Amino acid sequence: MAPPAADPTAAPASPTVAPPPIAATGGCAHCGAPAVAATAVDGLAFCCTGCAVVYRAIRSAGLDAYYQVRDRALPARVTDRAYDELDDDAFRRLHVRERADGARAVTLYLEDLRCAGCVWLVESTPSIVPGVVDVRVDVGRGRCDLVYRADAVPLSTIARHLDSLGHPVHPYRGADRDGARRKDDRAMLLRMGIAGAGFGNLMLLAIGLYAGWFTGMAADERALFRWASMLIAVPTIGFGAVPLFRTAIGALRARRAHVDVPLAIGIAVGLVWGSVNVIRATGEIYFDSLAMLTFLLLVSRWIVSRSHRKAAAAAELLWALTPRRARRVAADGSVGEVPIEAVAVGDRLRVRAGEAMPVDGVVVEGRSSVDAAILTGESRPQAIGVDDAVCAGTTNLGAPIDLRATAVGEATRVGALVRHVEELSTRKAAIERLVDKVAGRFVFVVLTLALITTLAWGGTTGVEHAMSLLVVTCPCALALATPLAVTVALGRAAGSGVLIKGADALERLATPGRLVLDKTGTLTKGEPSVVTWHGPAEVRGWVAVAERGSAHPLARALAALAPDVAATVADHVELRGAGLTATVAGRALMIGSPRWVGQQVDLAPIAAALAAIAGRAETPIAIAVDGVAVAAAGITDPLRPGAAEAIARLRQLGWAPEILSGDDPVVVAAVAAELGGLPHQGGVSPEAKLAHVEAARAAGPVVMVGDGVNDAAALAAATAGVAVAGAAEVAIEAADVYVRNPDLDAIVRTLAGAQATMATIRRNLRVSLFYNSIGGALAIAGLIHPLLAAVMMPLSSLSVLGSSLRSRAFRTTP
Amino acid sequence: MTTLYLILILALGGAALAVAAFAWTVRSGQLDDLDTPPRRILNDELRVSRPVDDAATRR
Repeated sequence: MAPPAADPTAAPASPTVAPPPIAATGGCAHCGAPAVAATAVDGLAFCCTGCAVVYRAIRSAGLDAYYQVRDRALPARVTDRAYDELDDDAFRRLHVRERADGARAVTLYLEDLRCAGCVWLVESTPSIVPGVVDVRVDVGRGRCDLVYRADAVPLSTIARHLDSLGHPVHPYRGADRDGARRKDDRAMLLRMGIAGAGFGNLMLLAIGLYAGWFTGMAADERALFRWASMLIAVPTIGFGAVPLFRTAIGALRARRAHVDVPLAIGIAVGLVWGSVNVIRATGEIYFDSLAMLTFLLLVSRWIVSRSHRKAAAAAELLWALTPRRARRVAADGSVGEVPIEAVAVGDRLRVRAGEAMPVDGVVVEGRSSVDAAILTGESRPQAIGVDDAVCAGTTNLGAPIDLRATAVGEATRVGALVRHVEELSTRKAAIERLVDKVAGRFVFVVLTLALITTLAWGGTTGVEHAMSLLVVTCPCALALATPLAVTVALGRAAGSGVLIKGADALERLATPGRLVLDKTGTLTKGEPSVVTWHGPAEVRGWVAVAERGSAHPLARALAALAPDVAATVADHVELRGAGLTATVAGRALMIGSPRWVGQQVDLAPIAAALAAIAGRAETPIAIAVDGVAVAAAGITDPLRPGAAEAIARLRQLGWAPEILSGDDPVVVAAVAAELGGLPHQGGVSPEAKLAHVEAARAAGPVVMVGDGVNDAAALAAATAGVAVAGAAEVAIEAADVYVRNPDLDAIVRTLAGAQATMATIRRNLRVSLFYNSIGGALAIAGLIHPLLAAVMMPLSSLSVLGSSLRSRAFRTTP
Repeated sequence: MTTLYLILILALGGAALAVAAFAWTVRSGQLDDLDTPPRRILNDELRVSRPVDDAATRR
């Protein structure tokens, strides 16, 4: 991340100085992506109109400092909407609160809130738009709390300002849910803090007690320390472990094995037996170890819950964006507002411009355009007319339309997505179920052993040894083993641009099988370039100059042949689908498809070269100068550098890669051959892809890598689906993994990381069971010493912690 | 021994105060959003580089 501006006085000069440094790279002045000359404004190039609008808005508002603090540069999105509906009385009644001081407060959802730069852009609004009193954003929830004076500025003006900065505005409907969540989160945090404080203070007392054990300690002082420990331990540990006790009791009632059962037994027995020992002034207390165990458990569960929340938030926001009320058109043509729950399939609804669709439906009257970016990632508005389907949550941009509802509530696509993500976050991975099962057996074994120990030793000694057995074998490390390893792996993966949805996805990626690749985007660069050139070198320059003005992808590939050559161009004539003619440096050039060029000149001089190009499945281009065919070029979408190495690495990991693509079979075959003869199939329809994946699953694990909307079904059907960058939202939701940069390397990292994580989990489980067996054996033998227990119990948890952090999974440097 | 009693009580009192303060920060919502403040702190020294300009809000 760029450091913040150290010198605030430097900022005022910036509107007149050169644009931010990113423009110097030749990319889009706003986001740095490859720029298109056609969008150039004031001598600056942009990648899209969104970036151009945002860039100008930021500079004219004097917010240039944004470019110093933002840590992620992504293409911007603006909707150019008027937001008139925000000034409606209906909207005000639902969402706007009147404050005692006469100002109004409203909670909005802003798209694309990501970094420090976004926070600043939005929170600077009060000094840019007069009448705005206060703006606070919450990046995690995309939430913006806005206070403004309605007499000074309408809400729509503020919304237009935020939109022009690249943060389209929506009403925020998740406030109730946020309230419930907040209560849970606060309770969890409070428990963690109190358990932590108890742990710290108990440690201090324990150090005194252990030191006294070595150097001698007066009996009354020892008693004082033990009583003080009890005074701290019972309330703090008791309070901290309430959720553990609750789950354990629930699991016992339902006769289900759960890892919390042995934990709760260990903690409860430790607290009770320790207190008994304090009162009878003999025997061991285990308060320090128990406090650490409770604290570590609470911390790890808090971390896991936070990462779950983040995963669920994105999908829930979609849900929050669908309206809660709809306008129903009755049979007599009258329109009445009803709550969304009252809408049934088949109802006719009216959606005004600027509103979000309340249901999935089919247009029955009117023409308009929709912004479906939130669902599909496609930022251009789509035109819709009668009989076109629309999805709940997408925004009607143009004109009022009437819909016939085809799905409502949870049955809508948005509803299904939310449910899907919720299921994912609550579903336990097989390895977690295994831990629960082990814990179930564990309880049985430990309780039996405790009974045997009591009987074998007999009397008070027997009880003492049995109690220390129960406490010492409290399987904290077992409970930490999986969540810690998974959370560390998911966190690291997310940092390197790989988003994995939960532990079970990670687990399903860890068993090698077949890897089905969709060629486009993962193996090739995604932009055509000239790979074959046959002809004189000077012609290269002329061709590049002639093609420079054209936006056609093939023209851009030709223009890249010699980007630095300068020459005069005249008589530039472009023929769609054929080619172009131009006069460059006084020579008449004709560049285009061989068929078109061949109609006017004799192609014989370059016939052999063209045949060779066609044989390699490249797109042939014929070039004639002054009526003579002199050069030929072959254009193709070349392999990404390192694709072959990545394939080799995949095979090394045990995967069998194959290509399954909708592209031209000849092209697919050429790519497969270049990669050393991968199994391949081209021209495959989405249905055939799905069938192929389902058939392959019968034989073993299948991981599917794809990016298109069409791939969604196959992605969901595979053992694990991987969506790559630029994928449609639907494909991302259907997939278990989303890879932000679309190269094969990231996929290799994901698969290798998943295997390493599973190895770490297995190592953690072994370590924790190893410590417990040793501790248990010593306790049964009556050999466990309090100091030994105090060292061993934390050591087992710390080994698991260390092993999880040390894991090679998703490390950038191995 | 008397000193020990005194110090122990003082220490536990201090710890209790700290816990109470923590409970207050949690209940008053200061720890509800842990994502935005660490970003916001980077912006303390940024300034809007021009005085209020109506043009920015017009279309």
